Amino acid sequence: MIQLRRLFGKNSRQGNWWAPLVLIIGTTAVLIATTVDFATPQNASNLLAQAMPLIIVAIGQMIVIVLAGMDLSVGSVMSMTTAILALDGSPFVLIPLVFLAAIAVGLTNGIAIVKLNVHPIIATLSMQFIVIGIAQLLRPVAGGSVPEIVVTMVTGRIFGMPTTILWGIAVIAIAWKVLHGSRFGLHLFAIGGGVASGQTDAAHNYGLPDQRIVIKAYVLSALFAALAGVFIAGRIASGDPSVGSQFALDSITAVAIGGTQLSGGVGGLHGTILGAILMALLANGMNLANLSAFLQGAIKGGILLLVIALQSRKRMGL
Amino acid sequence: MNPTLNRALRIPPAYFVFVVLLATLWVTKPQLMNANVLGIFVRQVAPLGILVLGQLLVMRVRSIDLSGAGVLLLINYLFASGMLGDTPIVLMLLLSVCIGCVIGAFNGYLVAKRRVSAVIATLAITVILSGLVQFLASGKPPGNMPALMNEAYKLKWGLLPAPVLVWVFLTALMAVFLSRFVFGRFIMAVGENPTASHFAGVPVARTVMIAHIIAGLFAALAAIVQSASVAVGSLRLGLEMPIDAVAATILGGVIFGRGDGGVWGPFFGVLCFALLFVVMTSFGVPEPGKQIARGLIILLAAVFYGLSTKNS
Repeated sequence: MIQLRRLFGKNSRQGNWWAPLVLIIGTTAVLIATTVDFATPQNASNLLAQAMPLIIVAIGQMIVIVLAGMDLSVGSVMSMTTAILALDGSPFVLIPLVFLAAIAVGLTNGIAIVKLNVHPIIATLSMQFIVIGIAQLLRPVAGGSVPEIVVTMVTGRIFGMPTTILWGIAVIAIAWKVLHGSRFGLHLFAIGGGVASGQTDAAHNYGLPDQRIVIKAYVLSALFAALAGVFIAGRIASGDPSVGSQFALDSITAVAIGGTQLSGGVGGLHGTILGAILMALLANGMNLANLSAFLQGAIKGGILLLVIALQSRKRMGL
Repeated sequence: MNPTLNRALRIPPAYFVFVVLLATLWVTKPQLMNANVLGIFVRQVAPLGILVLGQLLVMRVRSIDLSGAGVLLLINYLFASGMLGDTPIVLMLLLSVCIGCVIGAFNGYLVAKRRVSAVIATLAITVILSGLVQFLASGKPPGNMPALMNEAYKLKWGLLPAPVLVWVFLTALMAVFLSRFVFGRFIMAVGENPTASHFAGVPVARTVMIAHIIAGLFAALAAIVQSASVAVGSLRLGLEMPIDAVAATILGGVIFGRGDGGVWGPFFGVLCFALLFVVMTSFGVPEPGKQIARGLIILLAAVFYGLSTKNS
């Protein structure tokens, strides 16, 4: 009970998570009322498959945003993951390679930020260019084929149930354990809360290994991005060096809609998941309404701008 | 730390990199070392150089402006699509400048008044503008640029191409503006310490806002020069330009809140980019390699400054 109150109660650190829930219910109602194709099993399974990569990246993004950081390199890690998976080779080499590459990216981000004193946005922005460059070197244009096992893992069925649902359960369980069932999760919010209240050293002065936690957070963010990349690779069954380009901003939008504060310290798993579902729902609705893909991009940008303009911050600038 | 070493760390890396690149080019491709060829290389980066003038202003007040890509795309489309019919070119130029200022003012409002994260806000503006332009053009490349602009771009004054002349003139103007006007002092004060500036009576929010408006203005000017440099419009202008502007600015010794490099540091940062891409092309580095180099430059320059602020 206490645990539940801490997660869903009025004074929780989870942020304003009910707003996306209300919006999801509203959007669903509107879509059911106005379009014929929405409430079909086919569309529901499409929607789930569309939402899943965004849910996975957004969880990783949320972990660094709680630390008042930001990871703009997640999209490029996803692209690189699909490019690596489409290389020639055994899946038992390629899949570990994907996660090793992600760990390398996360470690570089974390070390640049913590040890070399680089602003998180600059560090991950430059990392984005480096990783996209690597992805393009591995696979200059979309193509190639992903190991069969990855495709089955994503699009197959187990006991008649789409594996997408299992992915969702597994990812949420991992994220729950990391955020709410580990010391790391608690420390994350402690450091973020300190930064948000202007006392950057607070957590450090309490004896928390703050540098190690920040580095771990960026590694986790890259790992979640790689997981999302594996999922997308399974869906498109090929490598594409530009497949992740939208995801950096989309994940930030999903996290921000879910009530996580970009100034750090406040945020949560369920808000982020709801935010990602809302984004997928809106994309699905715009597709059903036959809106131009270019206009959809502009509208998503507008939503991002609106959501972050509604968050109040003390600091000005970056 | 040793004061001499400290002073050496404060010299922008752009100067060293420029000398190294020039030497590399001199040794490996001596046939390129004449005023005509170099003039063409430098002319190519004139739009970037003009964009950097705005970028260095906002970066000195601890903000950033990535909306340049959107402004560039919009103004490029405006000239190439012929959607304004037979409007005189002067009016179109004026309109472009107005668009730049309005977008700059909107950025400024978001960053200074609403206190939105500058990266996200200006990135979102670019996403919105490029989405709208691509929607208007329905994904197809727009038509030809006005011939008059292309002719103006090719003019020369002695050995100096006209765009380079404009760039140098604007840079000198900015140098005077920053060192001789009260606003220049405000920019410096806000960058050094926003809280102290606020209590010293500096209008912090207004300074940030005006910096963004001027950045928008320079983005529009850069867009005009860029549009003049190509014969046909393009929808493929990506985020590279504002990112290169950030990289050149950092290379030139200006980084969030600190302005060691003044205006001429970033100027040489842009010249580094002019030579860098020539050197990479002449060594046969493919496009992804350039992408990686772009990222590495920003990261290394930021690490250089991160370490030098940590020590002091």
